[in-house]
Amino acid sequence: MNGFGIALRAEIFVALRSFASKLIVLAPSIIVVLQYSVIKVTETGQQARDSLLGTSNFDSAVANSGYGYFVDGLTTGLTMLSLLLVGQAAHSFSYERDVGTIRHLFIRRISRANLIVAKLVNIHILAILSVLLLLAVSYVLSGLFWDFGAIVEDGFELIGEAEIQAEIRLGLRLAIIPIPAAIAFGLLVSVCTQSATQAVTIALGITLAIDIFKGLLGDFSHYLYATFQPSLLDQSYLRDVSRIVRGYSDVLVDERLQQLNMWVPLPALLLFLVAAIWIVRRRKV
Amino acid sequence: MSTSSHVAALSVTSLNKKYGNFEVIKDLDLHIERGSIHGLVGLNGSGKTTTIECILGLQPRNGGSISVLGYQPEHLHKASGKVVAVFDTPSLHPNLTVRQCLDHARLLCEKPVRTAEELEVLLGIDRFSNFKIRHLSLGNKRRASIAQALLGEPEFMVLDEPFNGLDAEGVDDVLDLITTLNRREGTTFLLSSHQLPYLEQICSHIAILHQGAIAVSNDVASLLQQSITSIRLKTPHQEHAITLLQSYPEANYLKTDREGYLHIEINESSSALLNQFLVENKVLVSEMILQRASLASLFREITSEHPT
Repeated sequence: MNGFGIALRAEIFVALRSFASKLIVLAPSIIVVLQYSVIKVTETGQQARDSLLGTSNFDSAVANSGYGYFVDGLTTGLTMLSLLLVGQAAHSFSYERDVGTIRHLFIRRISRANLIVAKLVNIHILAILSVLLLLAVSYVLSGLFWDFGAIVEDGFELIGEAEIQAEIRLGLRLAIIPIPAAIAFGLLVSVCTQSATQAVTIALGITLAIDIFKGLLGDFSHYLYATFQPSLLDQSYLRDVSRIVRGYSDVLVDERLQQLNMWVPLPALLLFLVAAIWIVRRRKV
Repeated sequence: MSTSSHVAALSVTSLNKKYGNFEVIKDLDLHIERGSIHGLVGLNGSGKTTTIECILGLQPRNGGSISVLGYQPEHLHKASGKVVAVFDTPSLHPNLTVRQCLDHARLLCEKPVRTAEELEVLLGIDRFSNFKIRHLSLGNKRRASIAQALLGEPEFMVLDEPFNGLDAEGVDDVLDLITTLNRREGTTFLLSSHQLPYLEQICSHIAILHQGAIAVSNDVASLLQQSITSIRLKTPHQEHAITLLQSYPEANYLKTDREGYLHIEINESSSALLNQFLVENKVLVSEMILQRASLASLFREITSEHPT
């Protein structure tokens, strides 16, 4: 087995036994379960009140769209997952340097470049598991609590099911593509900083700062790797998708921005990865 | 890249290391033959850990060349586990159990020759097999670190402060282990420690690192021959004794301490003759304590010559 294979096995061995890895895989889904439960309870109360008063409006017509809640769940879960992944990536290398285990890896059979790539792959495996679980939980619960189908108001189909599914696929793609770059960014911070605490603070601080400043940067913000990354602010295309699939037609997304978001994250990922490897080869561990 | 038995275990030539403008290591030369147990001693801040980190490629150096079993420190991972280290801090995952740590280390081992169970028994940590590392005492963490290093068949082991935190039994176990591995498997050791009596007990060679350079490096027997033997002597005729000692050619009177002992530098074989000389000159000797040369005394001599 080559150095990368050994490094990846060693990473997975530790990940299987660590609380942080379990948190990354499970936390987004757990939050979504809580979110759906709270919404369902609130809606049940609202529906009871409306039926007593005999009122019905457009909002209540689209309220039962399972797809809308499915997308809401994904937005919440992916927002949380992005932050967890950045934090975990920032923690991964710096923590091992803090406790000294990194020294054994380097002395024995793993080169520095292999270790960085193995950490990147390991966190991606966690991300994939988490996204798959999130998709499954969101889909099952939103189907259980609400109905999937086209949005129909007064017999007029506002948006068809095939169109809804296409929009969700696009939104999901745009939301997921920047995540690897966010992980690589966390790793870069991890190799640059002096301690795990510093690494996590800086990585999350910068991620949140970018999120906040996106609104101030105007068109330049689209060149940031995280333009469409699920965001704490209302910058994510998934939030727009949530409106589209509910039948709102006032959502306009610039095609140019979608293209940028497709192609900017990959070079960003490579840049962060190469920088992380370059730095880790030159600094004390 | 050769790892044949002809290649020295470690060869360091003109090693230089700076932290900013401060020169920690200055033209350090160190050569360790295969099969030896080499002690590296020095005052705090003398550069022992920095030297070890440079040897293991854990930090960049500013100059000089290093070869560990024929490998450059930067490519030590290519040695496939022939070089292992136990660091001054335990360097284990705190949230894994002892057994999990050993299983994790096993993944990094090309040819494991011992099982985790065997090593736990050997190091006396089998009772703690399912304990998380963070719940262990420092001594047991160190035992677990050593166990981790012994999974494979290392040819060169670097131990930085291996006795820290160990109880007397633990120290004996580690000393026995080092001696056994060295004799049976020919493992070469580089030990860095402040515990000079332990090093004197097991090391074949000692290097004293002082102010960033090797002040002395030789086999232990030769080093101790260079060191001075002294005696402490008590007599009711102190002044007369001092006068006599100053005229006695084979002894060198050093000082009188607060307890009234006269300190005399002398060759061990001449101590009986000195006693006879004093008695013949009406000086009664009530106590005479021989202080043999030790690594500790040699270390004090060297480090006090050039205080930091």
